[in-house]
Amino acid sequence: MAAWVKGGATDADAAVEAAATLLAAARTPIVAGLCAELSAVRAAYHLADAIGASVDPLAGTSLYAELGSMSRTGGMLTTPAETTGRADAVLIVGNAPWDRPIVGEIAESAPTRGRAAGAERTLLSLGGPGNGATRHVAYPAEAGGLAVSVAHLRAYLKGHLAGETAYGDLAKRLAAAQYGVVLYDAAELGELGVEMLQGMVKDLNEVTRFFALPVSDPFQGRALLQLAAWTTGQAPRVGFGRHVPEHDPWRFDSARQIAAGEADAALWLASLPAPRPDWLGTLPAIAIVGEGSPEATGDAAEIVIAVGVPGESAGGALWNDRRATVTYAPPTGPSAELTAAGVLGAIQDRLVEMKAASC
Amino acid sequence: MLIRIQGGRVVDPTAGRDAVGDVWIENGRVVAASERTPDQTIDATGCVVMAGGVEVHSHIAGGNVVMSRLLLPELYTSEAAPEGHPFAHAGGSAAWIGANYARMGYTIAVEPAMPPASALSTQLELADIPLLDRGALTVMGNDDHLLQLLRQREGKAAVRDLVALAVATSRGLGVKCINAGGASAFKDGMLKLSLDEEIPVYGLSTRKIMTALLDAVEEIGVPHPLHVHCNNLGIPGADESFVDTLEAAEGRRIHFAHAQFYAYGVADPENPATGGFRSAAERITEAMEKHPNATFDVGQVAFGQTVTISLDILRQFAGRKGANPKKWILTAGDAEGGGVVPFLYKPRGAVSSLQWAIGLELMLLSKEPERTILTTDHPNGGPFTDYPHIIHLLMDKEKRDREIAGLHKVIGERSGLCAIEREYSFSEIAQLTRSGPAKLLGLTDRGHLREGARADVAIYRDDRDRTAMFARAKYVLKDGVTIVEDGEVVAWTSGHTLELTVESDKAMVARSETYLQDRFGAGLSSFEVPDEAFPKADVFEEVACLA
Repeated sequence: MAAWVKGGATDADAAVEAAATLLAAARTPIVAGLCAELSAVRAAYHLADAIGASVDPLAGTSLYAELGSMSRTGGMLTTPAETTGRADAVLIVGNAPWDRPIVGEIAESAPTRGRAAGAERTLLSLGGPGNGATRHVAYPAEAGGLAVSVAHLRAYLKGHLAGETAYGDLAKRLAAAQYGVVLYDAAELGELGVEMLQGMVKDLNEVTRFFALPVSDPFQGRALLQLAAWTTGQAPRVGFGRHVPEHDPWRFDSARQIAAGEADAALWLASLPAPRPDWLGTLPAIAIVGEGSPEATGDAAEIVIAVGVPGESAGGALWNDRRATVTYAPPTGPSAELTAAGVLGAIQDRLVEMKAASC
Repeated sequence: MLIRIQGGRVVDPTAGRDAVGDVWIENGRVVAASERTPDQTIDATGCVVMAGGVEVHSHIAGGNVVMSRLLLPELYTSEAAPEGHPFAHAGGSAAWIGANYARMGYTIAVEPAMPPASALSTQLELADIPLLDRGALTVMGNDDHLLQLLRQREGKAAVRDLVALAVATSRGLGVKCINAGGASAFKDGMLKLSLDEEIPVYGLSTRKIMTALLDAVEEIGVPHPLHVHCNNLGIPGADESFVDTLEAAEGRRIHFAHAQFYAYGVADPENPATGGFRSAAERITEAMEKHPNATFDVGQVAFGQTVTISLDILRQFAGRKGANPKKWILTAGDAEGGGVVPFLYKPRGAVSSLQWAIGLELMLLSKEPERTILTTDHPNGGPFTDYPHIIHLLMDKEKRDREIAGLHKVIGERSGLCAIEREYSFSEIAQLTRSGPAKLLGLTDRGHLREGARADVAIYRDDRDRTAMFARAKYVLKDGVTIVEDGEVVAWTSGHTLELTVESDKAMVARSETYLQDRFGAGLSSFEVPDEAFPKADVFEEVACLA
């Protein structure tokens, strides 16, 4: 079964018709989630423009912890492959990155390229779990939290603080690296923490080569960020209420909009696995979700349409965490009847027909 | 459909044509004058008719372009969109780029810096640029795999096969090298690199890498010569790097990117690093005249706020101190680096004024405009939307003098611009912006209006205000379809992305697969640009290699 309207199973055409009717009646709709292949995200932006919706990806919180700092001060970045291939010192900030496969790869390898090739790699931790599962030198976070800890570390590096302290020792290790990398999760570190950390990396580059590597969010944020930028000229959270993309990360935070009663309809796009938002059943909504997912049922939203899952039952351009770029994931099994981009396009086409008929 | 463009001043320097006449079009091609009654007649009375403009070097897609939008979201403004393409008025977007080129009469634009490691996202972005045909140059010269081959002296065939594979996999239109070896050197601690300096770890030099790429491009038969971004961009004495690189080509075809940024002679030989620079436009021009194998695009400066975008991380790292506003992004990528540094070209500033003058001087001194391509290295020297203004300055000495009068006096002291009386003709403008860049890209059916040409045509009202004339074409036809009328887009067509047809050597495919799996834990398929990844069909159009 591919589609449901108000809990009842139906065919795709009827669901598309119902979705178009729902959106045509909405005055302040939102398009959220966007945990999907790029062709679907592209179709979602086009639909949002057509209906004057605002757009907010599931990855928004993580992305904006990075983007706020980036637009204020910039940054110095590198890639996972450059980290495992070149880095002789890797500092992991916080707890979150430790769950990622890259930590194991860093711990189990040594630099093979560049001037540090053949050297031993030092793994350092600031405010990490300290569970001893991976060999590293641990430095606890300060009571003020990670961002404050990074600030103190930076002060030691700059010479604003001095002394035989743990952070003083860590600062010396970082400055001695030939190719250093700091791995962090922007959502955990927070916007100000990211800004402080990027400032520290810039300071380090006065004496050596050092780069930041934020771990990717698991919801396609890095891929859709690129598409959003080339489609609208802006970062992802935009509103089309005035038929021009207006970027405002606070105003177009979908959770805030719904909690404030500003949205009267929603379209949730998640052809890839994504946690169901609390608000999905609280307002007239369309859910375009991966077939076989827990949300692919009649009770997930007023209208539910199940579509191919990219990399499984559909092909799609997706963020490749290992490669840190967009790559194509072909279907690995039989193709689904519907694709997310196809459904979104059909809804938009139907809306155009409705508008033409009403003129 | 038979179309007659009637009564315009037809300017096609490739046919020695500059006279009032007609251009006939059928099925997307220019055809001979017909006895039949045309299905459509376009009245070009009082207009200048040229082939569609051809852009060879404009940063319109890719990871650094995306980064620039995130770093400097205030650079472009979005305006309320009228009916039509939903994002054409979203400042800096792909649709905005396509619309603004088309309004000026341009019909193809090439992104000059596509790293193979992120080819798919670059190609997806290019495909979203409407109206124009597009293309991208595959960047090589800093990748460990290539440098390993050279270090191990594997020979020309291996380099050729690796270059061919990179172009085929990324679906590029040509090959570019950017400060060859510079990104690798930067990652290993160097802050400056000259043509023959040793690159750490590999024992190579820029000269060795670049000449290997020059050979590979010739052996593959890439129509566009190797597109070279030299060492030492933007510093006093950069003219030495330019001339040394020109001579290092040893007669092989070579194209120099944004020559203006290298036409900086040392002003004070006693203090070369601190004494500033003076125009080396005459020196560069003389060197170019002695080397007919070479071409360059200009990289003209336009005053105002911009953002510089380059894979030359070595240069961008040095340039970070001059960031305005004070923020910047540098990325140590998987082969090339990358840097995004905002910059303000100040009209009353000595440095900016001199840069502006040098670019104009290069164009006005050139005896062969077809080898002197108009670019601003968008957005590095300024936005491509400044082309009409630059054309005005080239065509109108009085206009030039008026602008110089409002700029810094250094122009008179350190450049020869003020003494140049030359005014470009329409034919020379067509060489600079049409026939020259089309020949450079090896696109034989573009840049002219002879029979068989692609029906990409720009029609401008003849206006003494050349800025107004070239900013908003009266009509633009793409493949015979009218896409612009009176400076506004009237048909939102999609062009094609041009890709070179090049075969990959099976042994190199296998070897690269092993290398990439070892380095990335992912193979060649993760570098590919498959048709299935695109939301629309029929994105690419093939361009053949030279026989």
